[in-house]
Amino acid sequence: MRRSLIVAGIAVLGVPGVAFAQTATAATGSWVGPFSVLVAGFAMAFAAGLCALGQGKAIASAVDAMARQPGAAARIQTAMIIGLALIESLAIYVLVVAMILLFVQPIK
Amino acid sequence: MGVIEHPPIIRLPGVPDHVTYTWLVMIVLIGLAVAARGRLSLVPRGVQNFLEVILEQFIAMIDDVIGHEGRRYLPLIATLGLFILVGNLLGLVPGMNGPTTNLNTTAACALVVFFAYHYIGIKQQGAVTYLKHFMGPVPALAPLMVPIELISHLARPLSLTLRLFGNMTGGHILLAIIFFLMGLDGLIGWALSGSAAGAIVGGIGGIVMIAFTVGFLYPLKILVSFLQAFIFVMLTMLYIGAAIEHADEHGGHGAAAPHH
Repeated sequence: MRRSLIVAGIAVLGVPGVAFAQTATAATGSWVGPFSVLVAGFAMAFAAGLCALGQGKAIASAVDAMARQPGAAARIQTAMIIGLALIESLAIYVLVVAMILLFVQPIK
Repeated sequence: MGVIEHPPIIRLPGVPDHVTYTWLVMIVLIGLAVAARGRLSLVPRGVQNFLEVILEQFIAMIDDVIGHEGRRYLPLIATLGLFILVGNLLGLVPGMNGPTTNLNTTAACALVVFFAYHYIGIKQQGAVTYLKHFMGPVPALAPLMVPIELISHLARPLSLTLRLFGNMTGGHILLAIIFFLMGLDGLIGWALSGSAAGAIVGGIGGIVMIAFTVGFLYPLKILVSFLQAFIFVMLTMLYIGAAIEHADEHGGHGAAAPHH
């Protein structure tokens, strides 16, 4: 059941790409341009979602620790912010890649 | 981005925009410093008081992270922090261009940090002692630890650069798109176009968008500006603290350098 759903999802994702690719090939000679736009959007969506999951976990345990030990709240907060920055930088890398795909377009 | 983004209002011919606005940030900071220096008094007032409050925050953070001997690096750290903060905030002023939304500016800051903390480490500990840090705690593990440490150190300027650049540019693009959607080509232009549907939908939508921008997006961007400057400074202090920390010193002060 699940495997068929996955296959169906991949087919739904893939078929417009193929159709798009063929018209693009006829028009401009390459399918990489429109496909890179799709990839940029999906990559940013996945990165944002997973980054939110990770940051949510970090914040949850930090708030938990701050509630248990209000005296150490300042230090916990500093460590949390540094950790959030390090987690967030992974999503930022994807953002940079997406912007390169959208605006620089190294492979046309 | 040139399609939806108005070019900044001050443009010097032959000078890239981020360099122009870097000069503007420098003028602001140097002007503040000169204004405070002109009337120094034992009881601080006005600009001097303002700057002293800011620098005391930096000193408290340095004492917290590096330790007391870190105060001699206050000029480097506070200059970087103030430059990045004013640069971030300048990007929020309409018609201005934040210098930190350009990769070259952030890479310059990160490379300064990279070379500075290696220089500080070598100067404080000597080249041999400092390079021994790269070999890890056990000599037998050195062939494994040296590549890991090298990659980890080389990743630091990359992550500093891309974090600041990505956060600022992402917010910049978001603001540009929101302004584009609600501006004279978007909802407000529709409201002013004279048609009844445009007046209703565009008017209400424009008011909602303006409230959203002023009430949520701008405070968020101001928070992100302060947060990114804080994180850059905090990571700089962690790197310097790790570089001057002696390997044989147990229970050293401050937090350990993050490995990422």
